[in-house]
Amino acid sequence: MNCWPQKVRLLKKSTKKGALDIMFADWLFFTFAVIAVLGATGLVLFRHPLNGAMSFIVTLIALAGLYALLSAKLIFALQLIVYAGAIMSLIIIIIMFLNIQPEDLPHEETKWMYLIGGAIIVMPIGLFMVKMVRTLPNISTEIVGNNFGGVKEVGIQLYQNWLIPFEFIAILLLVPLVGAVVLAGKRGKNK
Amino acid sequence: MIHNYLFLSIILFCLGIVGVIARRNVFTVFMSIELMLNAGILALIAFARLHVHMDGHVLAMMVMAVAAAEAALALAVVILLHKHKSKLDTNVFSLLKG
Repeated sequence: MNCWPQKVRLLKKSTKKGALDIMFADWLFFTFAVIAVLGATGLVLFRHPLNGAMSFIVTLIALAGLYALLSAKLIFALQLIVYAGAIMSLIIIIIMFLNIQPEDLPHEETKWMYLIGGAIIVMPIGLFMVKMVRTLPNISTEIVGNNFGGVKEVGIQLYQNWLIPFEFIAILLLVPLVGAVVLAGKRGKNK
Repeated sequence: MIHNYLFLSIILFCLGIVGVIARRNVFTVFMSIELMLNAGILALIAFARLHVHMDGHVLAMMVMAVAAAEAALALAVVILLHKHKSKLDTNVFSLLKG
């Protein structure tokens, strides 16, 4: 691979501390990756949705760590605050609000058959995507210091080049607000 | 190495697809869709790091906004369906079947 000489050069050039840092980042990546995959597997396999939601939160926090390793500081914070904080607590509140007992859950006798069948169907798609990724250049991901991924830089990018999509996102967030009130708040009318 | 992040993103996306196919619980299906969105965000951030350009970060924020909107609307629909049928099984929700 073309990445190989670059890494060797980096290891030779850098002091012992730099090499240790790269190894440490690799270790962090593999730890987070394993935690994320385990959490996602738990989400797919747990019977009760509350257990699944808890295991999905673990996945989200591990993914936040991966964003930090990719030097996306703003997205790291947003992932923790918006995704693991706001969206998942909304989902958990709704699951608790419906007060689901184990006997209310659907009987999934054919779950394992569908799991294996789904894995067989998905595998060629995944292998195709892996083949596609292999054609991309492989660079080492040491932390990019300043001028990348902070609030200021992303904000400048957002308000200079992405202003119209940003406004459309505002409209997109307004529509579910109205829709949720219309759908879930009918109780007074029926009485 | 940036490839490892992309491989992880592919694995998470495939797990999300398998969850949507195999499970019949509404909440699990919904959270599997969120998992696929997260795999997309991870790929966007990895590509942003690959090109050292921040368009990927802006797109990731937009995906998060879409996920929030989806969560609000989908949970309202789930509450409504649970009020009508008192079930969480996706096979029961077949009102739109032709």
